[in-house]
Amino acid sequence: MPNTTTFDTNAPYIYLPISVISGNNTLYEFDAIFDTGAPRTEFSDTALAYAGVIGATKPSVLKDGLQTQKYAKAILPQVHICGHSIENLEVFVSHFEKSWGIDALVGLDFLRRFRTEIDYSRGILVTEGLPLAVR
Amino acid sequence: MEETLTWDEMRSIFLDEWLLITDFELDSSGHLIRGVVARHSVDKDEVYRLPALDKPSAFKFTGTSTFPGGWRAHAEHYHV
Repeated sequence: MPNTTTFDTNAPYIYLPISVISGNNTLYEFDAIFDTGAPRTEFSDTALAYAGVIGATKPSVLKDGLQTQKYAKAILPQVHICGHSIENLEVFVSHFEKSWGIDALVGLDFLRRFRTEIDYSRGILVTEGLPLAVR
Repeated sequence: MEETLTWDEMRSIFLDEWLLITDFELDSSGHLIRGVVARHSVDKDEVYRLPALDKPSAFKFTGTSTFPGGWRAHAEHYHV
């Protein structure tokens, strides 16, 4: 069954809310950008530290260019995005610049799991789980 | 008693700030409709400081993102 998710077509990016259910069953809601330039979904270390997924953050040493600063991987017990629930999602842990105003990048791994139709004329994403997802 | 604000009200009151919102309501797409601003600051670290609150929490930034990513930025950066 496809899910429909709205987004603001006036925003410079497609912003998507993403919820993380931590090990203590508490829900944390973060803002993400749908970024097909990211091979895998990434989370800011400060967000994951707050949610108790990682123990501590590392000092940032941002390099020149467009890359985020990935330095670890983490398994998120449960994630909700676009109305879909994903268990044990492996993500990159990254340092995010504070001025980015977001805590996650939804990457190509999402497209490996879900057929995704972007309709800018209506400001909606229509997503449906793929029967044989390539992970 | 803490006041419940809509997302539009939060954006007009807390300019260019990070917010930690509790007791929130989301729409069917997961977007924030309203909630209680439990913490706010222009300093992200101040809002995300530990220990975490023992309740569901939503994090929002009311300013404009300077995120440089995406294919368009990649092409501009590398003059593709």
